[in-house]
Amino acid sequence: MEQLHLVLAVFWLIAGGVAFYFSIGNARVWTSIAVGFFLILLGEIIPGALPFLPGLDNPYVLTMGHIIGTIAILVMSHGFQEYYVFTRTLDFEGSKLFVYLSVVGVIIASMVFLLINPAPGEDVRRIIRVVENTNWVFLSLINIDLIRKIYLNIQETPISKGFIAFMVVFACIFLWKGSQLYIDVYDLENKKDLINYTISYYTNLGGNLLASISVGATFLYLAKLLR
Amino acid sequence: MILLPRGNPVKENVNPGKVNLPDALDKLRQGKFTGYLRFDFPEGTGIFIFQAGRLISSLFETGRENLIAYDAIARTFHESLKGDGRLDIYRLSPELAFSIHALLHGEMLHRGQDLQLIDIRSLLTRMRDEQRSGCLRIYSDDHIALIFYRDGKPLGFFHDGSTDIETTADTSMSVARAPGAKVDVLITRGDAEKSLADLMETANIAGLWNKEVGERQRQREEQENAASRTLEMREGERRQKTLALFQKAAQQHLGKIGVSLVDKEFDRLKLNGVPLGEGHLTGFYDNLAKAAKLVAGPSKIELMLDEMKKGARSVLKGS
Repeated sequence: MEQLHLVLAVFWLIAGGVAFYFSIGNARVWTSIAVGFFLILLGEIIPGALPFLPGLDNPYVLTMGHIIGTIAILVMSHGFQEYYVFTRTLDFEGSKLFVYLSVVGVIIASMVFLLINPAPGEDVRRIIRVVENTNWVFLSLINIDLIRKIYLNIQETPISKGFIAFMVVFACIFLWKGSQLYIDVYDLENKKDLINYTISYYTNLGGNLLASISVGATFLYLAKLLR
Repeated sequence: MILLPRGNPVKENVNPGKVNLPDALDKLRQGKFTGYLRFDFPEGTGIFIFQAGRLISSLFETGRENLIAYDAIARTFHESLKGDGRLDIYRLSPELAFSIHALLHGEMLHRGQDLQLIDIRSLLTRMRDEQRSGCLRIYSDDHIALIFYRDGKPLGFFHDGSTDIETTADTSMSVARAPGAKVDVLITRGDAEKSLADLMETANIAGLWNKEVGERQRQREEQENAASRTLEMREGERRQKTLALFQKAAQQHLGKIGVSLVDKEFDRLKLNGVPLGEGHLTGFYDNLAKAAKLVAGPSKIELMLDEMKKGARSVLKGS
């Protein structure tokens, strides 16, 4: 299982790297989206690949992983909203630097929030994880619909097929985060003999793997379309 | 064409469009001028006859109509203001000035009489015996001769090609002998001279002039407006052509969102009434490229802009 986590970490490392590189070399509108996907790397690598990294038992590090995961889905959802607004109004504003600084600022603020409060125990981490996964699940569904609308608005452009790929990405993320949410809500970690847990567990792993692959592939595909 | 003796030239070949005619007429009045002003325009000929400072007669003749008095003055002013006329002023003796009036406005006693059918010498004798005042106009296909009478006495002879009144009838007689020659006899009644009113006294010359100046100004403004409208229409067509060309290229490379981007950036072009030129489009191309980066890569955008630039060059140069 550790090997699988290692594979996942490698895939997310590739996906996150590609996403971050994409955010630098392309139009401002892609910054929020790409930075959001890059943050998955931080949010997933930290809790997922901790066995290979120092700080395994550090509750702050583990909690920050969930908080960054929440920030990731919020930032990329904001990015897709901006893109949708652009396709409707053809207006666009802001700067890349502002996006980077805002994200860094929110992460620092979250760290400060954690540090000025009592060390987060298992229960606190569970609640934060539920909040993270709830955001992922519902915003994934909302983003799928938003991306569908974006696709309809720009379907004759070179980039349009890239948005179909994003719909696949969010479908994978929905399975991945939805199964984790299901496990947490029904506390299936403590009922591992149930078939529900087994299905949810493998759905979670499969969704995670497919999401990491689809994110990396989608950004590579987008880079090809935007040459 | 009105043929008149030239008399003594006072001014020749003046553009009446550059003269304040009411002022000029007033000077002639104050100078007790006797003679006539001849205005030649593409539309016709105007004649103003002065006798001792009195504007006794005015005529404007076109191929289709003859205007007299105030109508003639107004029309002469109207044509003068167009700026493509010619004004000649000739001094004449008072008798001849009146005779010219007779020639232009006299009662037609005989019209187009064939000189082979009448005896010209007996006609002249009758003019003398009946103490007629007026003018005999003798003309053939090629020539014309005028004989002016005052109370039955010939004042002189005038024919085309001569510069002044002659005292011998030789040329006139030679015209009369030409095949197919005809004669018009125009006379004025004895008291007509006294009854001639001074048109400058009875007419508001300055008013007529100002009215024509106003009319001319209005026409000029109308012409300018029409020209401006034509220019605007042409410019509108150029812009539409350029826009259509951009839309086509954008549709081909970026689809309907590309067309919308073109529309938006084209609307934002600030021309301030200046005709659209290639220089104005630099900002348009930059903004379009920036917006297009959100939906397409640099190579596609470059290709689209190249097509647009090439098309715009031909549209904007070709018109």
